[in-house]
Amino acid sequence: MTQTIELTINGKAVRAEVDDRTTLADFLREHADARSIHLGCEHGVCGACTIVIDGAIARSCITLAVMQDGADIRTLEGLGDDPVIRQLRESFHHNHGLQCGYCTPGMLITSRDIIARYGAADESTVRDALAGNICRCTGYAGIVKAVREAAARLAHDRSSDADASASVVPRRIAGSL
Amino acid sequence: MKPAPFTYIRPQRIEDAVAQLVEGGWDAKVIAGGQSLMPMLNLRMVSAERLIDIRRIPQLTACKDLGAEVRIGAGVTHARIQQGDIPDPSNGLMPKVASRIAYQAVRNRGTIGGSLSLADPAADWVTTMAALGATVEWHGEAGPQTGPAEDFIQAAYTTNLGPTDVLTAIRIPRLPREAVWGTYKLCRKTGEFAHAMAMVIRGGVTRAFLGATDGAPIRLPSVETELQRAPTCDAGLERALGEAMETDIANSSRELADVRRWQMRTCLVRATRMSFGIPELAVSA
Repeated sequence: MTQTIELTINGKAVRAEVDDRTTLADFLREHADARSIHLGCEHGVCGACTIVIDGAIARSCITLAVMQDGADIRTLEGLGDDPVIRQLRESFHHNHGLQCGYCTPGMLITSRDIIARYGAADESTVRDALAGNICRCTGYAGIVKAVREAAARLAHDRSSDADASASVVPRRIAGSL
Repeated sequence: MKPAPFTYIRPQRIEDAVAQLVEGGWDAKVIAGGQSLMPMLNLRMVSAERLIDIRRIPQLTACKDLGAEVRIGAGVTHARIQQGDIPDPSNGLMPKVASRIAYQAVRNRGTIGGSLSLADPAADWVTTMAALGATVEWHGEAGPQTGPAEDFIQAAYTTNLGPTDVLTAIRIPRLPREAVWGTYKLCRKTGEFAHAMAMVIRGGVTRAFLGATDGAPIRLPSVETELQRAPTCDAGLERALGEAMETDIANSSRELADVRRWQMRTCLVRATRMSFGIPELAVSA
């Protein structure tokens, strides 16, 4: 069976016919050219396919495309100008936050959410919140350093330019780890 | 790693979902957050000819503060509980538990009702709802039904739900203001399913449970007696709790391997310390 869905992908309205069993990850890669979505485990363990659905991070390999009728979806392709992603990209580069790069899109999307939730968090909070994203190259030290550095820089920018804060980082979400 | 073909249906009302289950029989499956079902479909450990998506049924995402209890729709996500978007009857226990379920990307989609319906013994809500003395509501061919969360799970992945029943809500009695709690689960990796779990509530009500067993959570009446008369948490109490736990496991006619009993004992002691406000790494004199 196939069904027609309408959704927003990276700001663009999309109408598509999808097979009922197609995962959101496969749909976005094949029909929306969102090749930043990497499929590592395809059962929700590795985090490489993490994207943003209606403002909340989610794993695109364990949700169906047909379930997303009406959803607003962001992948890394649509976050190129996002100030937090821009800072994270620079910090990952400087701190050796990647080697092969396979986990990196998921790491960046998750790190953006960590910064939104916890701001300039301590190391244990960052490690805890990154636990759902697996990296087989780096040993995580560089990634954790990169996230903390990016968070600290963004917090610093925010305090020196209070007006920009609302657009840079979404509201802090209540509830801690 | 792709699911076998199925037909996806999104009913608008709970009655329609039940009708789909009646029509589809054993080959129909209900999906909400899909954070356990989708991996199983991808791995083809489970197959379905008809997948019934209940995530958007408005009745299932509604929450209501009824004073003496809070009624939470089965489709409420772990993230909404974690973030305090719904009334909390548990003096903070439920947001704390929610914040420790899997990972944020999973908490954003996984639901409390889905977790209870699947009934993985290591799932956090299975033990939490038993510990809070909650009531489970479901809807089936015979209409609406209810039952205590403590008796809801018969065995691993087996609940009181019949093949055409859909879990609709959970009613959680409000803890007395003076009630305190402690919870601890043993995971080798952050966010993975627990190997052992313990939860204690003291003050006004006293309840102690072990979770992540081979089936339903185990209630610990002798441990509850010890907790009731304990003014402080010291090494003496911790020893007594361990012994009481052994008695309760023996009386429950459930079997736990030695290593699991040690893990459970550690969880019970740490949960109790937490309820007394003792930091996690402190050692009792």
